[in-house]
Amino acid sequence: MPSDLDRQIEQLTRCEPISEEQVKRLCLKAREILIEEGNVQVVDSPVTICGDIHGQFFDLMELFKVGGFCPETNYLFMGDFVDRGFYSVETFLLLLALKVRYPERITLIRGNHESRQITQVYGFYDECQRKYGSSNVWRWCCEVFDYLALGAIVDGSVFCVHGGLSPNLQSIDEIRAIDRKQEVPHDGPMCDLLWSDPDDIAGWGLSPRGAGFLFGADITKQFAHYNAIDLIARAHQLAMEGYKLMFDRTIVTVWSAPNYCYRCGNVASILELDEHLSQEYKVFQHAPLDVQSIPAKRPPADYFLIDTSSKSDHLRPVLFATTTTSFALPGPVIRAYRVSQTTTPYRHPIIGRCPLVPPPHGLEGIIDL
Amino acid sequence: MDPTFPVEDIAPIAILMDELRSEDVQLRLNAIHSIPTIALALGPDRARDELVPFLQDSVDDEDEVLLALAEELGRHFEDYIGGKEYAHILLGPLENLSAVEETLVRDKAAESITKVAAVLSQSQIEEYYIPLLKRLSHGEWFTSRTSSAALYPAVYAKVSSAVQDDLRKGFTALGADDTPMVRRAAAKWLGPLLTHFAQQHIVPDGLPIYRRLQSDDQDSVRLLTVEDLIVLAQRLTPAEVQEHLLKQIRHSIGDKSWRVRYMAATHFNELAEAVGVELVREELIGQYVQLLKDNEAEVRTAAAGQIPGFSKLLDKEVILARIVPCVRDLSQDSSQHVRAALANQISGLAPLLGKEPTIEHLLPLFLHLLKDDFPEVRLNIISKLETVNSVIGIELLSESLLPAIVELAEDKSWRVRQAIIEYIPLLANQLGKPFFDEQLGNLCMSWLGDTVYSIREAATVNLKKLTEVFGVDWAKVAIVPKVMGMGQHPNYLFRMTTVQAITTITPSLNLDIVRSEIIGPLLLLANDPIPNIRFNVAKSLEVLATTFNTSKEGHDFIEQQVVPVLEQQKNDQDADVRYFAARALHKIHPEL
Repeated sequence: MPSDLDRQIEQLTRCEPISEEQVKRLCLKAREILIEEGNVQVVDSPVTICGDIHGQFFDLMELFKVGGFCPETNYLFMGDFVDRGFYSVETFLLLLALKVRYPERITLIRGNHESRQITQVYGFYDECQRKYGSSNVWRWCCEVFDYLALGAIVDGSVFCVHGGLSPNLQSIDEIRAIDRKQEVPHDGPMCDLLWSDPDDIAGWGLSPRGAGFLFGADITKQFAHYNAIDLIARAHQLAMEGYKLMFDRTIVTVWSAPNYCYRCGNVASILELDEHLSQEYKVFQHAPLDVQSIPAKRPPADYFLIDTSSKSDHLRPVLFATTTTSFALPGPVIRAYRVSQTTTPYRHPIIGRCPLVPPPHGLEGIIDL
Repeated sequence: MDPTFPVEDIAPIAILMDELRSEDVQLRLNAIHSIPTIALALGPDRARDELVPFLQDSVDDEDEVLLALAEELGRHFEDYIGGKEYAHILLGPLENLSAVEETLVRDKAAESITKVAAVLSQSQIEEYYIPLLKRLSHGEWFTSRTSSAALYPAVYAKVSSAVQDDLRKGFTALGADDTPMVRRAAAKWLGPLLTHFAQQHIVPDGLPIYRRLQSDDQDSVRLLTVEDLIVLAQRLTPAEVQEHLLKQIRHSIGDKSWRVRYMAATHFNELAEAVGVELVREELIGQYVQLLKDNEAEVRTAAAGQIPGFSKLLDKEVILARIVPCVRDLSQDSSQHVRAALANQISGLAPLLGKEPTIEHLLPLFLHLLKDDFPEVRLNIISKLETVNSVIGIELLSESLLPAIVELAEDKSWRVRQAIIEYIPLLANQLGKPFFDEQLGNLCMSWLGDTVYSIREAATVNLKKLTEVFGVDWAKVAIVPKVMGMGQHPNYLFRMTTVQAITTITPSLNLDIVRSEIIGPLLLLANDPIPNIRFNVAKSLEVLATTFNTSKEGHDFIEQQVVPVLEQQKNDQDADVRYFAARALHKIHPEL
């Protein structure tokens, strides 16, 4: 007796989008569920915490293969489901369908990309247009974004948020007082939660992103102490090793998009918290190339080109009017390269040799947005 | 036309024209995909007189829109314009599309033209198709000439012999075109065209076209002629092949461009079968050895893939004298892709050589490849073990096999671990129970505690398959106690694995074991503090019930032990537990 929703989940799991009408109903239902959740959703262990996905659908499938599928495993996704990857539509709709089908088993919180402004620049809007021929799906999804929780707390002692802390928020209770049902503002506490980054500084600092703040070890430890929490789990920044613990293990960055933008060469991770809250980081690689299909005709969109010379890309996207081949742009640009365990380059007899370029250095925390 | 709705007479085409003029590519694309609907609304007469000419003029658009148009016109569009006798009208717009710059559009247009050709009568072909073919073949730009090459094979067999003469001349001209793109197209379509040639035209007309392309100065043209060569060889007698093609065969296999040699290596078995056994033994064996020793790893990889297929055509002595020394070299190859391809194929030689020579010549290589640094090489050997086993038995290999399996089982990539798990039932079958229990039993249980979910899942499936191989009594002693033992683990993931393993294995067990060993601990887990465990118990009970409900004894067992627990779970505080418990109860009592 599989319900319509079970069938939609099955269809989305095959990376096939559901119909516009089904999306509309799914989004309405999701809003009904999300409106009941707090700004800081209370979650019970055991739960598996995941970072940015960014529309990398086949890598999300890889994540589920490593961590277990929902509902067998409980999940908490810390935002940035959409943009940049080729399958934002399927990725977000699958997560949303799981949320509606198993509301107790999966928690979705908002990332800075779950916003009307950002998705119009970084791919989700275009993808909806291309796959549905209108902006309706994008509009409905954005309405759902406004209802997503801003954070979550596991068993009262692990605080999860997409970006980080805010100078305007000392306690978790103050987050509960925010009116979250709106587009992400350009500043203020709600914006900071989705945009801030930890950094090796003392106190607060200006963020190179142009939104949110940088915060140091002192701030982090103070917040943890004041709110009686053991760990802050956040996402928002690329970690080449999949995760990065900082400040005597009071804060961790969890990154779940392997080979980010299909070219960064990083591994990804998920954080498994068992029923005793012991932490296990499971590192995984991107899906094998024969599993993921990259759409044949369309070249990767221009927004895959990331200018590493400019750190402040907040709302000032680096858009080059170019085709994929013209990498010879002024200023350093990340080069495309293949990640391979093999040592000798493989070449296709018709296409020719595929160069193996070493991974770019110093990328951490720069090109994440 | 329905007279009661006069407004609709003009509406569809007006809407289409409007949408096709839209600024938005997506709207234009949608409009193109709806042309069958519009044609249906217009009726066949107006679709023919208004829609098709309109489409014919709208080739000045984005490639994406043109691609869609080319595709739609090839999808039995003639059904909308009055049937087969009007199908030739579609050739108009398709002709324009097959001359545009974008290759994808042209290829799709050519494909659609050949689809239309399939429904045309001979007179339609000669009146409309052939002139189109000539116009395209003589087009000023290479684009239309390139497209034309694809259009010859579809109609050659359908026209009169006079027209066939023309077509052969036309195609000959394409093969000698100034532009390499056109010659490439000719090389690509020569093979399909040759299959339609009458026997008397193969040598005088087909052969010269092939020879010319085969000696082209562009390697991208030459590499496409390998498939033409195979078709030609199939159409000729071995004596004719010897007389006419020997030089070309040598040239292709020894081409200075590796891409051509790669194509030759990839298609080597087809070629060998087409030329006949005699030529294989005299000539091709030498060429093949040359490919196996090629400088380029890609060529060696492709050639290694053909080893057993080609060796089938040879005598045992020749295999030993010529092929085996190459195989020995390849097993030491510097490229892991070559070694992996070899490992995948080498066992195919064992049945051809028989027991003694396999032990003498191949066994050392198997053992060597089982120690390869690259996991894929080892896995490929293990995956084909059955073939070797049937020839020499497994005892000779088992000593080296074990370390190889253990190492793969602990590989840091979970996909390698998964691959070896999938071979375990096959290995168990060949190694036998005592050896398995002693050497691999613990390994199989250790996978249940793997950090990766997919491995734990594969481990449970593996246990089920092993139960099927070694029997229920073995499972009761070797598997069940260990699986149930994990049910008390303090980490919920282990308890979860216990429940999921029960779900998977139970259908292969019997009621006695379930009653004595499994149901007690399982029902305890129905009260686990973690809801995920509880609803997986419900799922497990559902499987248990559907498996054993068939017998009277089983039915009583389910009513007494399973149903009360599910009834209790139906009132659980967690919604998912309630759902899966209710689902299980519904399976047991569908009438309620």
